[in-house]
Amino acid sequence: MFRRSLVWWLLVVAAAVVFGLMTQSERVLTLAIQTFIFGALASSWNILGGFAGQVSLGHAAFFGIGALVTRELWLDGRPLAVAVAIALVATAVAASVVGVPMLRLRGIYFAVGTLALGVGVWLTAGNLWPGISSLPVDALRGYEFTGPYFMALGVVTVTVALSIWLRRSKMGLGMMAVREDEEAAAATGVNALAYKMMAFVISAVLAALAGAAFAYFSVSYYPQFPFSVVWTFEAITVVFVGGVGTIIGPLVGAAFFVTGRDVLSSTFPELQVIAFGVLFILVVLVLPGGFVEGGERLHERISRRRTSQHQQATPDATPDATARESVKMEGKEKV
Amino acid sequence: MLLAVIALLVAACGSDDGGGGDTTAAGTETTEGATETTEGATETTEGASETTEGAMEAPEAIYLGAVVPQTGAFAGGGAQVVRGYTYAVEAINAAGGVYVEQYDTNLPLELILRDDESDPNKTTAIMEEVAGEGIVAYLGGFASPLHAAGTAVGEKNQIPYLGVATALQALHEQGYEYFFSPFPKSPDIAVSVYEMLNGLIAEGERPTRVGIFQEATDWGEELGALWADEAANFGYEVVLHETYAPGTEDFTDIILRAQAADVQALLSLPTPPDGFNIYKQMGELGWKPPFNLVVRAADVPTWNDLGDVGDGVLLSAGWHPDLGFEGIGPVNDRHIEEEGRPADPIVGGSYALVQILADAIERAGTLDTTAIRDQLAATDMDTVVGHITFRENGTAPIENPLMQRQDGRVVLVWPEGGAAGELVYPAN
Repeated sequence: MFRRSLVWWLLVVAAAVVFGLMTQSERVLTLAIQTFIFGALASSWNILGGFAGQVSLGHAAFFGIGALVTRELWLDGRPLAVAVAIALVATAVAASVVGVPMLRLRGIYFAVGTLALGVGVWLTAGNLWPGISSLPVDALRGYEFTGPYFMALGVVTVTVALSIWLRRSKMGLGMMAVREDEEAAAATGVNALAYKMMAFVISAVLAALAGAAFAYFSVSYYPQFPFSVVWTFEAITVVFVGGVGTIIGPLVGAAFFVTGRDVLSSTFPELQVIAFGVLFILVVLVLPGGFVEGGERLHERISRRRTSQHQQATPDATPDATARESVKMEGKEKV
Repeated sequence: MLLAVIALLVAACGSDDGGGGDTTAAGTETTEGATETTEGATETTEGASETTEGAMEAPEAIYLGAVVPQTGAFAGGGAQVVRGYTYAVEAINAAGGVYVEQYDTNLPLELILRDDESDPNKTTAIMEEVAGEGIVAYLGGFASPLHAAGTAVGEKNQIPYLGVATALQALHEQGYEYFFSPFPKSPDIAVSVYEMLNGLIAEGERPTRVGIFQEATDWGEELGALWADEAANFGYEVVLHETYAPGTEDFTDIILRAQAADVQALLSLPTPPDGFNIYKQMGELGWKPPFNLVVRAADVPTWNDLGDVGDGVLLSAGWHPDLGFEGIGPVNDRHIEEEGRPADPIVGGSYALVQILADAIERAGTLDTTAIRDQLAATDMDTVVGHITFRENGTAPIENPLMQRQDGRVVLVWPEGGAAGELVYPAN
């Protein structure tokens, strides 16, 4: 099962590579890059919020740190790879320092604490870096979308690969145990604080990686912008719309969010924000598991109908066989 | 998978060392979709197609991408910008449009108007979007943060960007070739206020103790520093120089400090909500200096809602209908007819941008953006904001008029003479 999934993922990445090489439309490439960046950011939040069950509202702080450090060092003449590496280390250190006191808070207190952190960092960034950050004029004239496209694709691939690995690892199982019942997990010997800390730092570093892709992609922006809490809320929206706690959910949510926003902003610019708000409420009410759950329900219904048709067509089909089929379906690994 | 990922990252990083690495695109390339004729003499933007004889089929219109704040903090200024663009486009179209030699016909101008919600980060995204709609130029919005974000996109796409209501000089020091702004810049504003004070108020009565409320933005830093640097050259002393973050809601502390420092001339450049809050709180605290220059926030008609505390402040908005330049009459008449008051300051500058652009397109004889840029650089014409030529950095030598709000009206007070009214001083 896992190998088959892996093959599918590799095929998707290969298709995205071919797509990037073939596509000439800057508009399409821009949408693709935005989808990858949102997908990576949402997946990174999903590790902390979906796997470990810790709802952080300050995630944009780490996205911002990744963008800021990468942009400053890169525009200062450092190779991009070096700038990104330093940004990730800086974020890991920042997350480790902040994580210790933050993760002693639980539930709503953790959410409010991280929100305060995010807003504080956002305001400070605006005060410290008030000027616009634009690419130098030579870089502007030679700007091409292919570099940012492949970087964003690489970033989202790393994030998804790490998420897949985490779900199957002892570390990931520890995180999920904490999510289900922290006290019960602790009672069975799981070091809850350590697993929450690992989720917090990994999630922050991956958010910073998405921020680095944003810094490399953007022609011009105010350094305060990536720190905006809007990034956090949009990432959370993407995760919940796609499917919280799943691997593919944040990617599906990101694709839907970016293309939907693009269509709405050109057709009903005044309504786009409220439209997504309404959609979010609808998804939470009707499909608490997001589009992924919707897809699974649909798949399940189709399978049941097929099974039922198969039973009618083959009278020797026994209830035991149907039950086995049903068990097989329920045991399917969530994607 | 790991190998594939590493390969992707390496491919992305490539040789991008510092600021995007080597450039590959020549500075003279045309916009996406441009096609060259067999004679090689004319090129056009997306939307025009080539015929077998080499003559070009004309597009339906000349498209101008106007990304303007119509909601959010700068909506009041954006409304003036939209009015200026709309009036000018309609006037030019009513006169037959713009002759384009390449097609040997007159074409109407058409605005592709979008709202960036006063968010510079949305400005860039929307500008990228409208670039794909066959535009020949960008018309900018209101306030320096939006222009600062937008000009880079114009440069990247090699589409001329014209903007008023931006005084940030630093934008013109980056080597941009596609950015043109016939609007007073920070060095002009920094000097003109002291020139006006010395020119209109007798020595001994002048407000020599200057206070500066500087917002923590790029333009705030630039103009705040220039006001401070120029003060001594004109005989003024800066007794207070305070910086605050945009979006601050409580200004009590810096107002009380200004009062304690006996500030006589208060210079500031707040965004509209901050400017309203500063003067509202000054009113509540019962203090207002005798001279007040409020750049940007006081440009909008809603400033009058402040009542007495807002009255008497000076504006530096680049234009006034009493300046008497050719063509102002019809613009002002229409504004009075539709809005019930003389043309707002930013309407004139916005109107002039379309005049300048139409002239450049006609001289270029083509819709090729690089050819239009070259003709913009060579501009030498009369507009509703005066005679315009451009320096190499895209700025224009232009006088900086100062206006004062007097009983709800905006009165031109500097330069003196002509139709200028009297400066009301002290204004507290």
